[in-house]
Amino acid sequence: MTLPDASLSHIHRADGSATYLQNGYSIIGGVNGPIEVGRRDELPEEATIDVIVRPAVGVGGTRERHLESIIHSTLQHVILIQNHPRTLIQVTLQVIRMPDSDTFNSKKRQFSSPLRILPSLLQTALLALLSASIPLSTTFTASLITVARGSNTVINPSPEDLQNARSTHVLAFSAEGDLLVAESQGEFEIGDWERVFEMGLHAARSGSENRKGADSDVVMLDDDQGGALRGLVQQKIEKDQKWKENIK
Amino acid sequence: MPREPELSLNERSFVLQALQENIRIDGRSFDAFRGLELNFGDEYGVADVKLGKTRVIARISAEVTRPFPDRLFDGIFTITTELSPIASPAFEVGRQTDQEVILSRILEKAIRRSSALDTESLCIIAGQKCWNIRADVHLLDYDGGLTDASCIAVIAALQHFRRPDVSVEGENVTIHAMEERVPVPLSLLHHPICVTFSFFLGGGIVLVDATLQEEMLRNGELTIALNRHGEICQIAKLGGVAVEALTFLNCTNIALVKAQEISRFISKKLEEDLKEKNPSRLLVELSAENER
Repeated sequence: MTLPDASLSHIHRADGSATYLQNGYSIIGGVNGPIEVGRRDELPEEATIDVIVRPAVGVGGTRERHLESIIHSTLQHVILIQNHPRTLIQVTLQVIRMPDSDTFNSKKRQFSSPLRILPSLLQTALLALLSASIPLSTTFTASLITVARGSNTVINPSPEDLQNARSTHVLAFSAEGDLLVAESQGEFEIGDWERVFEMGLHAARSGSENRKGADSDVVMLDDDQGGALRGLVQQKIEKDQKWKENIK
Repeated sequence: MPREPELSLNERSFVLQALQENIRIDGRSFDAFRGLELNFGDEYGVADVKLGKTRVIARISAEVTRPFPDRLFDGIFTITTELSPIASPAFEVGRQTDQEVILSRILEKAIRRSSALDTESLCIIAGQKCWNIRADVHLLDYDGGLTDASCIAVIAALQHFRRPDVSVEGENVTIHAMEERVPVPLSLLHHPICVTFSFFLGGGIVLVDATLQEEMLRNGELTIALNRHGEICQIAKLGGVAVEALTFLNCTNIALVKAQEISRFISKKLEEDLKEKNPSRLLVELSAENER
């Protein structure tokens, strides 16, 4: 398991942006919003969310549309869409690098499970939304969990683990520990899924408990993925709020 | 979808008056590029170019396919440009703007039709198998100078790219994995660089590498693609303003200097990258490729 790395607000034109690196994936996310919405997509009582996933090579196809629909329905429950009626919040996720992108074999890439990239995409979207200061009802932690043949579960698996995996699961939990996303692919039994659920919940929880312990400390050395990112967001917000301190 | 915000009257007259007094808003001289940054990814064929605030990532990928029936001895080379809303909310998804069409046409003319990449060398078995090289241009940040930055990114990425080695025995083709045999660089015949000039106030003032603000005010533009030997690959003059022939000649002279500078910069960066990734020059000695 590798810890994620990220940088925030490094793109000038987009309202919010983030680069997220984990397990060989590198994704740049940009958020524009709230902006003017086309009349066709306008919703009278809430904001329209537009999610665009762009692959590193080639143009998007059904695979990207599928990922977009999952991310769209997740963000709809996270963003406070009632706050911005008749506007558009546009989330663009550009994949820069994939770990198994054998550059000369795009066929192989197409057959690999689309779920593998989903946690990184969700995490990038969240960071970009935070960077754009879009009001959210909660934050979330997404993780990829695989179940291998011997029924042992691995969180944030390495490429070898992925090869041996019988089933792949993506779970995202809100900061309160509620399940937001549950996507699974492959063969598994209900017992497997319950263990996967426990594992994902534990990973998400350990993040939020650490946060309570180290409230004022920016340095987070915990091994959960939330901790490292939280530190980054905190740094960014401190930087943004600096002007206020000087006024006092 | 929102449009690109137009400049206010005050801003317009301020910028134009400054230009008349020989001052650019960012303090550059009229024939100066913005700071150019070039980084290569961990993989082969990824170039990240920053030209001022404009940022473009070009990515080269290769795949084995069947050649076109009318071009049996040639491989395939395509350049894809898609402007995403990350760069500016004015870029809409799924609908090509004029700007996008012009960008892809100019890149096509400058790089593909000037045969910078030798497509014949991409042929594996005539009429049956060839390499399909594709260049994806991702625009991440947009502050003018799109054509120049994209062209630099594509050319740098093409030079950085290595395709897997192939061996042919009769009808059988073996593609060797990168670990098995040293991958092969693409055979590039020359390295065209685009330099864009912007004309202001009826063609009287000529700027190199305009920012977005300047691009919105210009009356016309001229994109010259040429290599470091001074061979001009294409000239595209857009916009209604009439430009004198002498100015045109002047522009080509400036473009040559710029193209040479940029070419040198790219080769320096490529060398640094090679040294960093391959300190003992082992890969060079192991290579089975013949010098052209």
